[in-house]
Amino acid sequence: MAYVIPVIFIVVIAFAAVKKVNIYDGFCAGIKEAAKFTMSLLPCLAAIFMMCALFEESGLADGLCRLLSPVFGFLGIPPELTKLVLIKPFSGSGSLAYLNEIIKNYGADSYIARCACVCYGSSETVFYISAVYFAGLKVRRLALPIAIALFATFVSTVVACLICKIM
Amino acid sequence: MNVVFTVIALASSAVLLIFAPDRLLPALLSGAEDSVKMALTLFCIYAVWMGLSKLAELSRLTRGASKLLMPVSEKFFRCDGEEINENISMNLSCNLLGLGGAATPYAVKAINGMQKTGNAFGQKLLFIINATSIQLIPTTVIALRAGAGSVKASDIVLPSLICTAISTALAVILYIAAEKIGGAKGRKKPWRM
Repeated sequence: MAYVIPVIFIVVIAFAAVKKVNIYDGFCAGIKEAAKFTMSLLPCLAAIFMMCALFEESGLADGLCRLLSPVFGFLGIPPELTKLVLIKPFSGSGSLAYLNEIIKNYGADSYIARCACVCYGSSETVFYISAVYFAGLKVRRLALPIAIALFATFVSTVVACLICKIM
Repeated sequence: MNVVFTVIALASSAVLLIFAPDRLLPALLSGAEDSVKMALTLFCIYAVWMGLSKLAELSRLTRGASKLLMPVSEKFFRCDGEEINENISMNLSCNLLGLGGAATPYAVKAINGMQKTGNAFGQKLLFIINATSIQLIPTTVIALRAGAGSVKASDIVLPSLICTAISTALAVILYIAAEKIGGAKGRKKPWRM
């Protein structure tokens, strides 16, 4: 797997050079787009991160975890994973930090850590993606696709905990 | 998003108002600070991938690659327009390779393109596929496990693959079904406004 990225890098640049593209100019033009794109994301990011900080600081996040743990437990999700499952839709970096903590606390090969890894690896940051993808666009009826994505992610989490028990 | 934001913001600030009014502003500021750090990280990722993808675009490499996936994306996303199809194909390929950072700019370009042609169906379908993750190999997680001294760091690959497949398939089926039901209830052409 370590070879994939260097190979892509070389192939793209070599191919562009063969096609007589100005490599430096093209690369800079791409980065210019990246700068514009990042700037267009910043307002949404700031709003979402502020909301998450409030949610965490107010203790509501912990409260929700405690409230949902029994429900999750009934569906076969270990209570240790409740917070990970709840954070993942909002923040990739936040949930990655939490995943790291779980791996450290329970050991990389424990059931809890393997479950957490599968849940993390097979899900995406739904709310975050919706904010980035539709930033600045007027798209109606977004609640339905978001709800479907969240529901599907949750089902796969339940399946993940089941599979990790068997495999 | 508006509803979620309003509910969480109001509920959280109400709780803070009662229990710790002096912690509201620091929380907001630290959130904003984190968002700037995040934006910097993202810029680095996008600078690498968008720089590289610009070269691929200029040398018409993406056009060749996306020709393979084109018939699929044309039918599946009900999409016309070569550029949009190209962006969708590149988004899907990058996702499969686990290059999430490279995939996002393509998705945003495709969604902006579909906004112009009024293809709301394609926009939301692309969002759903991306939001349920279609990564083949979770490289970050494997690296993390290996770093923590796992005996077999890659034994989560197969379970992850199964779960990813389940969530994406389920979401796509649910969405297409919901769109069919919604479409039958009045809107004549749900994907073309």
